[in-house]
Amino acid sequence: MTRQSPKVGVYGFTGCAGDQLMILNCEDQLVDLFGATEIRSFVMAKSDNHEGELDVAFIEGSISTEEQLKKLKEIRERAKVVIAIGTCASHGGPQAMKLGEGGWEERYRKVYGNAKITISKAFEAQPIDAFVKVDMYIPGCPIDKGEFLAAVSKLVAGRHPYLYKFPVCTECKWKENPCILYAGKFCGGPLTKAGCGAVCPSYGLPCVGCWGPTDDLNVSSEYKLLKEKGYNPDEILRKLRKFGGAKVAQLLKDVENKGAKA
Amino acid sequence: MILKMKKEDLSTFLDSVKEWGELRGPTKKEGRVTYSRVDSLSQMDLKAARTIIPPKKFLYPPRFTMFDYDQDGYTERLGDVPKRVLFGIHPCDIHGILIMDKLFLETYKDPYYAERREKTLLLGHSCIPDDKCMCIATNTDFVAEGFDLFFSDLKMFYLVWVGSTKGHDLIRLKPELFSRELDKNDILNYTEYRKWKNSQFKTKIDLTGMPDIFELGYGSPVWDQLGDKCLSCGQCTMVCPTCNCYNVVDEVELGALEGTRDRFWDSCMFREYSLVAGGHNFRDKRSDRLRLWYTHKLQAFIGEFGKPACVGCGRCVETCPVEINVVTVSTALKEQEVGK
Amino acid sequence: MKKLCVVLDEREVQDNPYRPDMWRIVRRYPLTNDVNFYQARPVEMEEALKFNYKPGQFVMVSIPGEGEAPFSISSTPSRPGMLEFCIRKTGSLTETLFEVKENHTLGVRGPYGNGFPMDKMVGKDIMIIAGGLGAAPLRSLLLYVLDNRDQFGKLTYLHGARTPGEMLFREEFIQLKEREDLNCLLTVDKDDTDKWQFRQGVVTELFKHVGPIDSKNTFAVVCGPPVMYRFVMPHLVRLGLPKHQILMTLERRMKCGVGKCGHCAIEYLYTCIDGPVFTYWDVLHMKEIIGRGVSDKTVA
Repeated sequence: MTRQSPKVGVYGFTGCAGDQLMILNCEDQLVDLFGATEIRSFVMAKSDNHEGELDVAFIEGSISTEEQLKKLKEIRERAKVVIAIGTCASHGGPQAMKLGEGGWEERYRKVYGNAKITISKAFEAQPIDAFVKVDMYIPGCPIDKGEFLAAVSKLVAGRHPYLYKFPVCTECKWKENPCILYAGKFCGGPLTKAGCGAVCPSYGLPCVGCWGPTDDLNVSSEYKLLKEKGYNPDEILRKLRKFGGAKVAQLLKDVENKGAKA
Repeated sequence: MILKMKKEDLSTFLDSVKEWGELRGPTKKEGRVTYSRVDSLSQMDLKAARTIIPPKKFLYPPRFTMFDYDQDGYTERLGDVPKRVLFGIHPCDIHGILIMDKLFLETYKDPYYAERREKTLLLGHSCIPDDKCMCIATNTDFVAEGFDLFFSDLKMFYLVWVGSTKGHDLIRLKPELFSRELDKNDILNYTEYRKWKNSQFKTKIDLTGMPDIFELGYGSPVWDQLGDKCLSCGQCTMVCPTCNCYNVVDEVELGALEGTRDRFWDSCMFREYSLVAGGHNFRDKRSDRLRLWYTHKLQAFIGEFGKPACVGCGRCVETCPVEINVVTVSTALKEQEVGK
Repeated sequence: MKKLCVVLDEREVQDNPYRPDMWRIVRRYPLTNDVNFYQARPVEMEEALKFNYKPGQFVMVSIPGEGEAPFSISSTPSRPGMLEFCIRKTGSLTETLFEVKENHTLGVRGPYGNGFPMDKMVGKDIMIIAGGLGAAPLRSLLLYVLDNRDQFGKLTYLHGARTPGEMLFREEFIQLKEREDLNCLLTVDKDDTDKWQFRQGVVTELFKHVGPIDSKNTFAVVCGPPVMYRFVMPHLVRLGLPKHQILMTLERRMKCGVGKCGHCAIEYLYTCIDGPVFTYWDVLHMKEIIGRGVSDKTVA
């Protein structure tokens, strides 16, 4: 079976560009990557970019201006498969940590004052799936090289990528770390998707949740547990929402409402 | 066959077994106890009650490649496993391996497990129970088979059980260190040691009647309460010496239609575990998944083999952040109340 | 890439239960909108002669790079040399399987599972009840009984589908209605073609047309969606069939097919080696087996 190399575009919106950088950082495989795919557009990596039909569009960053939104929709229209790369594109990232709480205008004024911004109208940052259909997510802050390359290799071969769906705790055990949440530290592992190889806990540092929420998470139990361990509710909300996006925000709201009723 | 060895000779003996294979033993670094590569006895910590991951990791690693494949088919990746000697394995973990043996070596022999099992010598060592050990309740506090050698520490000397021909070959590397002369005092010492060990257990659980209690409690609200607590993090299944579940995934080489078929530890605590194509999930609720795990360990296995698939190692007790473990679950089912 | 095993003897590597052999797709055509039919044969002809199975067993099918999943066998061992199975497009693997064309190869290992207890069923009346995709494994049994017709008593085949277009092997089964040595009753929930000449209504409606049943001498075999069991099982019990003569074949997620990976566990049983065929009596003892509340209706 010979397959045509897929036409690929890599795009960045509101984020640190760390995921695109990580792609360029795949040094040993970079030649193979550019050989196995036809990279039509990757502004960060090359200058001759052609915007046309795409087989796969990798999109980094959240959407926070009208201009970005227009471009996102335009990419979606010409891409067969849209893949969110990084936690910002997948879940909103730290810039979306207050999503749904309101008060965005006020926060915006605090940062930008009354400065007139004429380029494009801004709004509160949101993950790309708030606006377009996303076929696949490769979260991470930044993405993991191995996970990214494994997914790309499968796409090139016409296969479906497989990413771990379980929480980082499982990888943490593979690395033979004692559970630091059990020991009383503020660890977000049980709510966080695996893929990073449990880097932080392997150095004794708690998981901050930068891979974003896992598929099946029990926010209410984690919240209760952290409270029992002596953390105050404000801190819990703040830390869990940092990378949790709309999903964790909603689940936490449910927990609070339940608590208020009880 | 039971032999006797002076305690100070252990180090010399372990140096000599390196001739057979790489030496592994329990080590403690920054509070983390693991079975790791060691050069000598001095690097081991024989007092630690348990390692984070049981020795199953040597026989069945968390992730490994089963096959290389290309257009023409699948070729097994076997033969590249190093020979190893594991020292310091506790009776509970040997019982765990015996349960794994049953699963992987009986019908449809698993060649990956079989190869590692054959290339790994198990040198057991007696242990001091801590507050989480409960092997006395699972009848796994002593072990009579499954090891190549077993060292019982009787303060002044070791009694050494020889459990296999391979174990006997190890003895023959340094026969001068072992004596067959056992006298009355050795028996008295050993009896005393068993009595002392039995008195050390602090966790008291009673697993008798568990199959019936599970049957009666199938619909109990206790399961929902436990399900509300469970984080589905999978840690219990990773650390359990008798958990064998795995997932398989094909990896592809970039730009080619060849690659590897890999196998990695999976957990029945995950939603994806029982999901069938088309989206139906037979165990969508956490309570259903928890119940499957505990039913398997404490009801089904007893019904099938007359003993639980829990070896009382205490790892779930030491790992689960929300205190769902063999002790709390069996107690909750009996008392129909989830403890604090 | 080939490595020789140093410890296990050659035979044990040959016996590696996880290794798929390469098979060639010799025929492939759509049965319905989302179900394809495949006929396959081992690339190595010696393998073709060795491959033997029982109705009700399944194989693990691999697509290199995509993965592996269990599929029930639709062909009968009484017509050897060819393996037939049906694939419905429901997930990543089946989606990719739809792209595997005639003459291409895929991995196959098996057969696995207990299959139907043919030795016990010999001499008995056989009643087969298929719903939807449940016809895939039951076709194997149906063809087997037809090929060994003199070994069995009365044969009844009941098959329900949502619409004529969704009925697997529709033309094949319609032709069976011509035969006098079986009673073949077909029904659809809804006829969206206006050309359907047979019955309409759910599959349990067909029981009205089955005629007298020698219940103690009958084996009923059921496969279909979970909701179907909820209605069919109480019906069969009311007809007086002993619970151990009501058989069903179940579907579960599987990664190995040989009782190791754990996914298909139901309490202490593995669907892959203890099943996929279970008696209704087994099922009543396993609360989880076909979903909550299903078994409650006919006990006590």
